[in-house]
Amino acid sequence: MEDTKRNKLSPRKRLTNFLVHLLLAVLAVIWVLPIFWIILTSFRAEPGAYTNTFLPQGYTLANYIKLFTDRNVLNFPKMFKNTLIIAICCCFFSTFFVLSVAYSLSRMRFKFRKPYMNIAMILGLFPGFMAMIAQYFILKAMGLTEGSAIRIGLIIVYSACTGLGFQIAKGFFDTIPRSIDEAAVMDGATQWQVFTRITMPLAKPIVIYTVMTSFIAPWVDFIFAKVICRANADQFTVAIGLWNMLQKEYIYQWYTCFAAGAVIISIPIAILFIYMQRFYVEGMSGAVKG
Amino acid sequence: MATISLRHIQKIYPNVQVEERRKKKGEDPKKKKNNLKITEEGVVAVDDFNLEIADREFVVFVGPSGCGKSTTLRMVAGLEDITRGDLYIDGVRMNDIEPRDRDIAMVFQNYALYPHMTVRQNLEFPLELRKVPKDQMKKQVDEAAEILGITEYLDRKPKALSGGQRQRVAIGRAIVREPKVLLMDEPLSNLDAKLRNQMRAEIIKLRQRIDSTFIYVTHDQTEAMTLGDRIVIMKDGEVQQIGTPQEVFNKPVNIFVAGFIGMPQMNFYDGKLLKEGDRYVIDVLGARIVPSEDKQARLRERNIAPMDITVGARPEHITLKETEGAMMEGTVDVSEMMGSSIHIHLNAGGNDSIIIVPTLDLGDRDLSIGSKVRFTFAPNVVHMFDRETGKNLEYI
Amino acid sequence: MDKKEISVKNALIHGDALTKLSAIVMGAGMIGHKQIVKGLMVLACEVAFVFYMIGTGLHSLSMLPSLGTQAQEKVWNEAKQIYEYTVGDNSQQILLAGVVTCFVIAAIVLLWILQLRHSYNLQKTLEKKGHVPTFKEDIFNLFDKNLHITLMTLPCLGILIFNIVPLVYMISMAFTSYSKEGEHLILFDWNGLTQFQRVLNLQGNIGRQFFQVLRWTIIWAIFATFLNYILGMILAMIINRKDTKWKAFWRFCFVLSIAVPQFVMLMIMNIMLQPSGAINVLLKNLGWISTSLPFWTDATWAKITIIIINLWIGIPYTMLQVTGILQNIPAELYEAAKMDGAGPVKIFFKITLPYMLFVTTPYLISSFVGNINNFNVIYLLSGGGPTYVGDTAGQTDLLVTWLYKLTVDQQYYNLGAVIGIMTFIILTIITLVTYRNSSSYKNEEAFM
Repeated sequence: MEDTKRNKLSPRKRLTNFLVHLLLAVLAVIWVLPIFWIILTSFRAEPGAYTNTFLPQGYTLANYIKLFTDRNVLNFPKMFKNTLIIAICCCFFSTFFVLSVAYSLSRMRFKFRKPYMNIAMILGLFPGFMAMIAQYFILKAMGLTEGSAIRIGLIIVYSACTGLGFQIAKGFFDTIPRSIDEAAVMDGATQWQVFTRITMPLAKPIVIYTVMTSFIAPWVDFIFAKVICRANADQFTVAIGLWNMLQKEYIYQWYTCFAAGAVIISIPIAILFIYMQRFYVEGMSGAVKG
Repeated sequence: MATISLRHIQKIYPNVQVEERRKKKGEDPKKKKNNLKITEEGVVAVDDFNLEIADREFVVFVGPSGCGKSTTLRMVAGLEDITRGDLYIDGVRMNDIEPRDRDIAMVFQNYALYPHMTVRQNLEFPLELRKVPKDQMKKQVDEAAEILGITEYLDRKPKALSGGQRQRVAIGRAIVREPKVLLMDEPLSNLDAKLRNQMRAEIIKLRQRIDSTFIYVTHDQTEAMTLGDRIVIMKDGEVQQIGTPQEVFNKPVNIFVAGFIGMPQMNFYDGKLLKEGDRYVIDVLGARIVPSEDKQARLRERNIAPMDITVGARPEHITLKETEGAMMEGTVDVSEMMGSSIHIHLNAGGNDSIIIVPTLDLGDRDLSIGSKVRFTFAPNVVHMFDRETGKNLEYI
Repeated sequence: MDKKEISVKNALIHGDALTKLSAIVMGAGMIGHKQIVKGLMVLACEVAFVFYMIGTGLHSLSMLPSLGTQAQEKVWNEAKQIYEYTVGDNSQQILLAGVVTCFVIAAIVLLWILQLRHSYNLQKTLEKKGHVPTFKEDIFNLFDKNLHITLMTLPCLGILIFNIVPLVYMISMAFTSYSKEGEHLILFDWNGLTQFQRVLNLQGNIGRQFFQVLRWTIIWAIFATFLNYILGMILAMIINRKDTKWKAFWRFCFVLSIAVPQFVMLMIMNIMLQPSGAINVLLKNLGWISTSLPFWTDATWAKITIIIINLWIGIPYTMLQVTGILQNIPAELYEAAKMDGAGPVKIFFKITLPYMLFVTTPYLISSFVGNINNFNVIYLLSGGGPTYVGDTAGQTDLLVTWLYKLTVDQQYYNLGAVIGIMTFIILTIITLVTYRNSSSYKNEEAFM
């Protein structure tokens, strides 16, 4: 920076600056190190969870290869496929649900509006697991807990209640000036046209944000998946698979593969996250568009 | 081609809503913010609004904020429900008709352009929704763009335009489908003073080129006076006066209209209306002013009894020319040299008043702060208002 | 037309024959008042309801008070010369069917009211204007002024079926003896508030555990929420400082940790901190310790470890969320404070913190609620342990993880349900008190 060179900083200020950067560097190391370590582990040649050295002794791609070829013990490719299917369906339904609810609450005025928001707030206070057990029983009564129907069960579980998570999207819609809607209405648009042709394009960041979060959800949840899949190894999702790799009976053989799996699913999530970081910030601070 | 009639239009916001909104804003829900009438049903935002608008007329609703002018406009647009009364456009009752079927266009204060569309797409949008064929659409858009001089920006996004250009686009979007009625809700108040004057002139020109009937809402009396064929002055949800600019300026029906129209504001003084034989005489600040003959006639006609009044005189109607027995005295607070005239701020009998005097009439009078000035009102333009009701005694 | 006039009472008193008929034959009023398709649809609902009630509904309802009496039994079949199992009652299914039936009845009552009012409204409109919306117009309106109905029906159904019904079902379990204790897993009965008494009784074993878990839950939530909040904010401020270089790089370093799925990170941490895990091995190799540090085996160690690891996970989130808001703080405020001679610490406590608290109260509340319900961190790190012999709750269990253990692992469903209800009550109190007073709630419509 030319400016800083010209205006010579006082020694005290330079010291603080140095300390701040040092602090940031130390913190960054603390935060990055575990991730770095996982990546290293995923390339580690020697198996087992507990080693005597911090850095691997040998490097190999075998962990990745095993992850995607070994179908006998833990069928990771199958789990990956399951999760992908579930995630795509979920993404579709959840996005529709969240945006519909958020738009209705933000833009339309109807009698049920306030009660709905209050109900949503109250439901949000119940521990998620309270409903989980009962959801399982309901799915069971609907015959969705056996065989490949489990997939449908999981899709339902992941997307059915997303209508309660409208807050961020609604907050964003609220910042779009109402007069834009009114102008569209005067121009002859129906509410549906306002929704699809005006609000959706304007709310692109939040649409992307919603799509991403709902796509990611099935990849990182393992509790619902575990309760609903039970012992149906055929229908396991990636999360359960990874969880299983760390159980006593598998951990020695599979620990490095676990690291490889973790890296594999982290990459797309990392890309998505870095891309949507800005929407995340905007969603929180409520950027006014217009 | 459209006539509009508003008959006994009323808008009431239910109390619950209003109280809730106030509570949220952290205000005392019981406290009244303005003088809107409150009935059992709720707050009356617009009360008994009656107006017949002729084809191609330009009507301006003007009044302070919260007077109900925008609400009325939005009821005509169909963006607000009409609580009571009837709205007719070309003789068809419009109360239950959707905005898109009323053939009305509207220009908003904050432009309300669609940020994700180019100017051309913005202009095309209303036509597209009406399923106008492609080639005709292009023709109409180009025409509207040409009228407003925005042809060169057609491919830009609104973000890349200045405030004035955006406002042109907003107007363009409104006129592109040649609506029967064009509504404008404070379209110029987001612009700076210079652009505002320029756009005002453009709107006057625009009028000549299109056949729509205009309703224009503003809080700025200058805009109202320069644009309107007729002006509707509103306050607290009620219509105060409807008339041409000349009428509302020269014959204000009450003290509110008198004070609202005209810049700088009319001066008001407490006074007494006396009757000497057949003649009415005003006693104000120790001076005796005899109103002109036509005023005498109007007062007589209405059989006005002597009473306490508020005397009103516009700054430009006050003169320093000596008239015997009718001179008042004030102390100069400030005097502002405006070029051709001088604005003298006076304190006369405890009332702040402004006098506008042509520079040439002034001579070498002393106008330093604290000096005394003698002045009087021209007897043919002095206004007399009932002090209790505020009504103009000549036009009751 | 006044909305008040359109009521069920008025419909029954002043309605014409068809409107009155729809009190019995639902939809009759609509069919009679030119809305045939809609009327038929309502009628179909009624018919379906009647069939449902005759088929299973009435039976489910009648079983609800007893929750079944017939235990599964072995019966000697003389003809086949074998033991056969009779089909006993399954209380859990009976309860579920009963709850569902109650919801169906509620739905039909609602529909009854709505259709009656609608019929009356139609009748009045016909009398006045001679035209009511046709089916086509109704459909059109569903995409215009009634768009919210189109948009919200499916999400609401989802919430009703997969959140509200399960919750009611779970809540009703709290009042039964559905538990592995006393072998009540198949056949159980209503037993009132017994479980609540157990949980709230400090002298009893369960009661003691409950209050122990509750105390830790609250301590945890306070630490997890406020430490993360303050430290995350400080981090964001340090990165956003005018003189800090490579802002995007620093931010990237921290955001990277969000990208790794939380549960992966937690499981790795769990393994690294085992008595023979990487950390202990490393420390031993360095010669700093001779015996393994009891990260998960000692209650106090476990608690502190959890809070610290949670900082690792939570700070980047807070940093991200807070960055935007921090930039919104008017610069004049800072300048004014500097002119008045305030130091950085003073500025933080006098300006930044109050401003942030003002804006982010709802965020703080929701993250507090989230932390009370934070299952992942506890379950994956310590698994609630260490656990004393004879207890169901470990030393680091939160109410939710205990709830999970009680239901999924131990099958003490009734006790679990009670814990869930207690969690809800505690959260409600906290939220209502703070949320209602927050500025953001009051200004929800400030934009409009």
